Amino acid sequence: MAVGLKQFTNRGHDGQPALDSENGEELMHVQPGVSIVLGHRNRAPESPGTLYLSTKRVVWLSDADIAKGYAVDFLSITLHALSRDPESYPSPCIYAQIETEADEDDSECSDSECNEPLDLSLVGEMRLIPSDPRQLEILFEIFCEGAELNPEPITEDGGNNPAFSTDLFTESSEGEDFDGDLSQNPATSIGHSNGDHDLARSVLELQINDQRFEDAEEMEHGSDGGHSELFPFLS
Amino acid sequence: MGLSFYIYERSKLGGVIGGGLQLFFSYFKDLVGREVTVELKNDLAIRGTLHSVDQYLNIKLENTRVVDQDKYPHMLSVRNCFIRGSVVRYVQLPPEAVDIELLHDATRREARGG
Repeated sequence: MAVGLKQFTNRGHDGQPALDSENGEELMHVQPGVSIVLGHRNRAPESPGTLYLSTKRVVWLSDADIAKGYAVDFLSITLHALSRDPESYPSPCIYAQIETEADEDDSECSDSECNEPLDLSLVGEMRLIPSDPRQLEILFEIFCEGAELNPEPITEDGGNNPAFSTDLFTESSEGEDFDGDLSQNPATSIGHSNGDHDLARSVLELQINDQRFEDAEEMEHGSDGGHSELFPFLS
Repeated sequence: MGLSFYIYERSKLGGVIGGGLQLFFSYFKDLVGREVTVELKNDLAIRGTLHSVDQYLNIKLENTRVVDQDKYPHMLSVRNCFIRGSVVRYVQLPPEAVDIELLHDATRREARGG
């Protein structure tokens, strides 16, 4: 599955984005008068366009240039936020982080460099600025809806399948610490620190420095020998 | 430094035990209104008031702020934030919100398959 931001120029005859209706993609919301800032916050906003929120993705199409448009799947949007604090960004906007395949830490961008062409696949941030800030709330809610409509594809395998750790590392956008080899070696990954695949141990990790916990321990004593399996720190 | 409590990433829970997700979903629902810190797999840590959580452990926070403000100055504060469940590495809970008894029981039930 391709992640990240993509060029989108596939407009239908009505000027709206051509959606994948065969696979059930439907338009949820259209918001005219939206500027977009891709990547670093110092980049200049691109000329007003129209935002299309479908059941699968976010599409922004330039009003002036029909060759210009971007799309990102909800699956690739890590988080989105309603930004109204002028210190965060001068204009109220929807801020979104986008998962990228590469290490996206390309944030070194001085004012002079910020207008160079972007490699879209490396864009890790996006700001959508509606000309009418009153639209922010509804946009935020529709983004939430879109995310909920697009959960991670479920892996049917249970048990000791490494799918989850692969999942963990391929979705991680940081390239420095994690390279692909780690997914081949679950013993070094998070949750496998001692190479123990015991499910219960990997579910919970408690760092205890609280006397309330001692109370719980006493209450648990003798009640059920099984708990020490679940909570090895009790034994 | 009190008790810090981490719940492992949703993708692992979902992938391994399926129904285990339900356990944490129920647990998080009880934490609505509390202050939590959500650490993402890209190392960003966001603190805020838990507004809601859904079955995929997507998390909505209010009055958020980034924990490491030097590293993420542009995200100093946003009012509402929606975090995709699959990118959550840890959720750090306030110590007073951790009901050990309840978690013991629920986890034990889950491990026994019912």
